[in-house]
Amino acid sequence: MSASSSSITSAVPSQPFGTSADSIIAIADTSFRYAHDDAGVAAVNPTVANPVSGNVASPTDRALTHVDLAVRPGETVMLCGQSGCGKTTITRLINGLIPNFFHGPLTGTQVVCGLGGDGDTSGDATAGARDANVAAPVPIESLVPLVGSVFQNPKTQYFNADTTSELAFPCENVGMPSAAIRERVDETAQRFGIRHLLGRSVFKLSGGEKQRLAVASATMLRPRIIVMDEPTSNLDAAAMRDLHDMVAELKRAGVTVVIAEHRLAWCADLIDRYVRFENGAVAGEYTAAEFAELGAEQLELWGLRALDLAPYRAALRAKVGVTGGAPDVAEMAGRMSAGCPRSARGLNDGLPSERGTSQPSVIAAVNAETETASDMPVTSPIGPVIDSASRHPSAASVLANPSVQQTEHQSPNGAAIIATHDLVVGYRRAFRREVADLALYGGDIIGLMGRNGAGKSTLVRTLCGLQKPLAGRVLLHGRSVRPAALTRAGFLVMQDVNYQLFADSAREELLLGLGDADDVIRRPIDLAAVPDTETAGSGIAGAQSAEAARMPYLHPATLGEQADRVLDALDLLPFADRHPMSLSGGQKQRLAIASAIMCGKELIVLDEPTSGLDRAHMMQVGALLRRLADDGKAVLVVTHDEELAALWCDRIIDMDGSPSLTKETI
Amino acid sequence: MPVTAASRRLDPRAKLYLLLLANLLLFFHVDTRGEAIMVALFLLPLFAAGRWKNGLRLAVLYFALLGLGLWSDAVTLDGAGGGSGGSLIGMMDGGANDGGAATFAVTAGHVAGLLSVGIRMMMPCLITGAYAFTTTSISEFVCAMRRMHVPEAIVIPCMVVIRFFPTIVHDYRQIRNAMALRGIAAGRFALVRHPVQSLEFILVPLLMNATIVSRDLSVAALTKGLGIAGEHTCMTVIRMSWFDWAFMAVCTVPLALAIGGVL
Amino acid sequence: MNQPNQPAVQSPKSSRLAVPDLISIGIFTALYFVCVCVATLVSTLIAGAGTIFLPAVAALICGPVFMLSVARVGKFGGITVMGVVIGLFLFVSGHFALSFVASVVFPLAGDLIARIGNYKNRVTILIGYVVFCYGLTGPILPLWFMKDAYVASLEARGKSAAYINDLFSQISVGSFFVAMAAILVCGLIGGWFGQRILKKHFVKAGIA
Repeated sequence: MSASSSSITSAVPSQPFGTSADSIIAIADTSFRYAHDDAGVAAVNPTVANPVSGNVASPTDRALTHVDLAVRPGETVMLCGQSGCGKTTITRLINGLIPNFFHGPLTGTQVVCGLGGDGDTSGDATAGARDANVAAPVPIESLVPLVGSVFQNPKTQYFNADTTSELAFPCENVGMPSAAIRERVDETAQRFGIRHLLGRSVFKLSGGEKQRLAVASATMLRPRIIVMDEPTSNLDAAAMRDLHDMVAELKRAGVTVVIAEHRLAWCADLIDRYVRFENGAVAGEYTAAEFAELGAEQLELWGLRALDLAPYRAALRAKVGVTGGAPDVAEMAGRMSAGCPRSARGLNDGLPSERGTSQPSVIAAVNAETETASDMPVTSPIGPVIDSASRHPSAASVLANPSVQQTEHQSPNGAAIIATHDLVVGYRRAFRREVADLALYGGDIIGLMGRNGAGKSTLVRTLCGLQKPLAGRVLLHGRSVRPAALTRAGFLVMQDVNYQLFADSAREELLLGLGDADDVIRRPIDLAAVPDTETAGSGIAGAQSAEAARMPYLHPATLGEQADRVLDALDLLPFADRHPMSLSGGQKQRLAIASAIMCGKELIVLDEPTSGLDRAHMMQVGALLRRLADDGKAVLVVTHDEELAALWCDRIIDMDGSPSLTKETI
Repeated sequence: MPVTAASRRLDPRAKLYLLLLANLLLFFHVDTRGEAIMVALFLLPLFAAGRWKNGLRLAVLYFALLGLGLWSDAVTLDGAGGGSGGSLIGMMDGGANDGGAATFAVTAGHVAGLLSVGIRMMMPCLITGAYAFTTTSISEFVCAMRRMHVPEAIVIPCMVVIRFFPTIVHDYRQIRNAMALRGIAAGRFALVRHPVQSLEFILVPLLMNATIVSRDLSVAALTKGLGIAGEHTCMTVIRMSWFDWAFMAVCTVPLALAIGGVL
Repeated sequence: MNQPNQPAVQSPKSSRLAVPDLISIGIFTALYFVCVCVATLVSTLIAGAGTIFLPAVAALICGPVFMLSVARVGKFGGITVMGVVIGLFLFVSGHFALSFVASVVFPLAGDLIARIGNYKNRVTILIGYVVFCYGLTGPILPLWFMKDAYVASLEARGKSAAYINDLFSQISVGSFFVAMAAILVCGLIGGWFGQRILKKHFVKAGIA
């Protein structure tokens, strides 16, 4: 209550700090190990996978080893590093979730706002059980008025079904009188410009609005510290700008902000200090100026996302081939001539050679653009750095030596796998969107971008036959087909891949549904793309031999072998007997893709496959997309991730009527 | 549940009282006249809250049932002297009865009568329930529970249930989509043909997601102080006004009279 | 993570329900409630007006939800709270008040039975589940009231007692016992199914 009654701008510490004179957060010599690696539950962090081996960090791995970190009041600190590096664990130490909710042996000193101290509960393996009665840790309840928290997933971090209650919720819990709560809600809504969100159902808000609500709700008790754990991983560019403004407001008010984040660009101008983590230890601390001078390649080497997105945005604009919606002809023509003087059709006509040089052309475009437009000097061409070269030979060779790919790749056989004609998607009354004609060819990676609510997911669902188009046609191999046929030909890897895994082991997952004698999946047309064995060395299957794959019927034994081959190609064979839910986020994603390959899908759509991923993992996903495309699939990626789109997509479909990928952002 | 409604609404506790009255009505088999009066009274606040469509629908349903009951009375009155009235179960099984068309009509009359009386006696509960459900915001509901000193061990799960319902609907749609894409239990009759397997395929992802959500919600709730001991306040203020008391009295009197057999 | 170690979301073995437990219970209750709604639909479709089989159908499909909630919470009070919340929602949505009583008493009994095995013993949990399932008899009790009401309305119009008895000889006591026995059988089957799912998926995935 004492903190909650202080004014917004009370940045000056009003109460004496224990041992650390001038730090609001003092973490010294702290080590921590999660007591249980609750895998399915530790989709905590869907990405806690070890990037190299693909292993979930095993329970014996330490999450933190001898970490020292001090944060001064009013500072804005960014914790960065690859997935599983310990930055999320630090945020949990600050807001008290460790050791109050996540248990495990904890050593060292953690002082937050003068609370806490020597939380040494170290010792043997039973420490987790003992820590309750040995040293009483700071109860999370006493930290509530001092530390506000914002989490990664906007969908699961609100507790109330309507927005006003959600804002009032922390105040109600500390027992503020109702008049004061109403006043506070009003004030906070005013402060962050979210008055229009009050009194609405949280379920009707967009992801960005939910995240703004989460930040506002975290500040309701006027905490002196705000910790954010990957707050932008599900947001589009506009929502990130809103979040940026909120952080700026907090900074202005003198609140200490600690952000653990993969995406660095969105708040680069606000950060005072960067702390880089590696394998649970602090690997370096940099002031904002020092960090900005590191250069793009250095960040890539560390597996970090780019600090400056301008080059990527420029590359994206060059790739925008088709706009959705009723196209503004003049504007579109202008954009075409500026970036990419070809029609969508022309791009496909010149496909083989065009594809071979696609990566270098990105970089060329990037450089051209940065010289003219960006005021931030880019010291070297942005070349994608692959740290997993040994694992994905084909992808690595594609990027390192484009000519190799050129020879390997088959030219598409003319007809698009999926094409649309005068398509209108939407829901009968609520939503209606016209989509410019598009064609998806085997071997293409198409990025589908646009702000939230632009109709991306509706379009994707229509292409997969999950909903009927309001008007127009969807053509499968040039023939107009019913939605059911589209559902058989296409596959959607959902953002939350947990919904699509049904079996009790990874191998079973691939065989699921294939055993039924009367199942439609057995139809010959769908088997056309089942990978072949001989070429397994290069990618999932390399160039498939069409005749062999067009067998109308597969023997069950063959199916089992087939499943193992697909698992092997996606590095999942060691986990064939594991339960899908015990895999890491990336592994689940690959398993879903594997199931699509087993079903012989030709169109693979991925919905935000790289949300919440660091650069290294993002590049892995990109390489995987390339392999799928090289196997003749049409790959459609719905994404906000400008880095993924710029580096890996062959074309971009921009669903925004107006060019949103402009450089003045941030 | 709409958060705002411009029109006059009762206090949540008054709504609870109405629910209790409706249950008493069910318990004491009040005759048709008393029942009709009570139904009319219970429908009033629904209209006052501006829920015209809902109220009209319930009113029409009630009158339709009333008409059905009258018709049934007329039919079965003739059959009274005819010895065997025809077995209800026999009718339901579709089994042939020895009687002719007249018996058939009588039996149909009884079915209709039973339905009419049965559903009609549920109506007061349904109406008050619909009123309570559609006009109470969640915060009012929570506030009312806290005012009535319901323990937090009940209040918190109730909040979570309300919060989680829409998520279940969303999850279910996603799972059905994923199943369609994989060709698992796809098609219209697949759920009926393989009920056990379908149940497994739907429930397992639902439950998996539920455990993840429960962890995330716990984290969010803990950092926002849900675990703080001591009294939790409410932003929403609920107050029993004279209107609430008056309406409660107005509803109580005819019920008491009807139960007492005066009406 | 393959070994079934204790779930992470647990305060260090206090036997009282903490906030995370209550949230888990809320979520499983919501799922249970949805299953009950599905059961209502199914029982109405299959048995026509005979929704008397609602608790039985619900018992058949709610097994996995119940078993996972017991595995995740594993403290006394969890099952009871689930019943109370269900009862509360039934009451507020206009069900008969007795359904509230039933959905408190039976889950409490089930909770006590499951506690005998410390929420680990499969047999006691299964028995607890069957008892828990009887908590849903509340919504179907008015069916018997309905009959009484109709009898009363017939009597009021001067029908003879013999006529009325003849009319209702087949429904009443017989159907009551059939419905109750169906809950027992379906509860056993559903509970067994739930435990099988729990072992097949959730224990293997390290969640339960």
